Amino acid sequence: MRTSRTKAFLSSGVVLVVLIATAGLAAAHHSFTAFNMTDEKSVTGVVNRVEWTNPHIWIWIDVPDAKGATYGFEGMSPNFLERRGWTRTTLKAGDKITVSYRPLRDGKNGGMWMTGKMETGKILTGGGGRDGQ
Amino acid sequence: MTSAKKLLVAAAAILIATAWSSYLAAQQNVMKQPTAADWAALAKLPDFTGVWERGGAAPRGNGGQAANAGAPAARGGAAPRGGAAPAAGAAPRGAAPAAGAQAGNAAPAAQRGGGGRGGGMQLNPEYEAKRRAYQASAPEDSDTANCLPPGMPGIMTQPYPMEFLLTPGKVTIVIEAYTQVRHIYTDGRKLPQDPDPKFFGTSVGRWEGDTLVVESVGFSPSIRLTGGVPPSDKMRIVERFRLADPDNMSIETTITDPVVLTAPYTTSSNLRRHREWTIAEYICEENNRNSVDSTGKAGIDLTLPGTNSPK
Repeated sequence: MRTSRTKAFLSSGVVLVVLIATAGLAAAHHSFTAFNMTDEKSVTGVVNRVEWTNPHIWIWIDVPDAKGATYGFEGMSPNFLERRGWTRTTLKAGDKITVSYRPLRDGKNGGMWMTGKMETGKILTGGGGRDGQ
Repeated sequence: MTSAKKLLVAAAAILIATAWSSYLAAQQNVMKQPTAADWAALAKLPDFTGVWERGGAAPRGNGGQAANAGAPAARGGAAPRGGAAPAAGAAPRGAAPAAGAQAGNAAPAAQRGGGGRGGGMQLNPEYEAKRRAYQASAPEDSDTANCLPPGMPGIMTQPYPMEFLLTPGKVTIVIEAYTQVRHIYTDGRKLPQDPDPKFFGTSVGRWEGDTLVVESVGFSPSIRLTGGVPPSDKMRIVERFRLADPDNMSIETTITDPVVLTAPYTTSSNLRRHREWTIAEYICEENNRNSVDSTGKAGIDLTLPGTNSPK
């Protein structure tokens, strides 16, 4: 059930548009060399810390399945997101979240944030935040 | 009059003439105190008030390439208030990450026109060679990864908004990306003959009917027309800003450079007004974990905040 829903979501145009949004915006500041833009991974964990900073937000997530490793995810800028439904207080330390991301090429823990799904159902992407279905 | 006296008079005349011409030159660059009439005159100009972000109408560069496809795509993905529809032209930009390369801190408009490689921009052979050499061994990233602003014309195509301030004798563009400001004098002063090289050049503007025409000269060799291609000191940029409808502004940008380009390079883009927005702070150095070294190799800092150890 969960898998089919995920597949349906991934195959939807929404993801494509979000990808383009994320890619296009990050390009303004840096290239994608550090990330494998053709791969996508997913982890579930608990938010350790939110860095609500320019030029990018960084979300740090403790992942129990990875022996407690803390993953780092680069997202959009606060400026961009706050205009689009993802604010400084949307995601807080202690929140449980599942993140899909473009992994770091060097194999370290983390990558470029694609889509985060909160327990409340809220969806957080490079394009902002919105209520899930 | 003795010849010595004649000499003295001639010398004095030259001195006075020199002083007068430097006085006139200096007067040109004096911001005068505005009168009530000067302020009132602003109300007759087109309304550029407020905060604008790229997106909206489909833009074109030379050769019919999408000049700023990134922004419409961004807007589409963002689904912000107002429900802006994703514009056509998203697809070309989406291909960029797959290619995995970025054309330096080049002018995105130019860079994006023609498949992200400055296509449509006709270069003299020497500069065409520079572009090819760059493409053959493109660095992993550009200096913007180190928070160096791109300068003109790239700063005008960032995925962040800008605000136009019209005051007597001046148009100021406050640009959110990299916290930048452009100063455009509309008080009738002339462009400098021998300008210092600057990231934004030196700009003057005038109103031709409802169009603000901005001319800029004197650009830093640090900026890029496209990947690997710096401007010469002869580069000139003319921008024409015009309200296409109440909340859309079109910008036509023409770059000429007799040293670098064999033909003028023109792109068009569109800004959409967001009256409810304000310009936000963007201190790139606040928490920049991206970097590029002198060899062009990109890096990323994964040090968990509050610790000394990279994860």
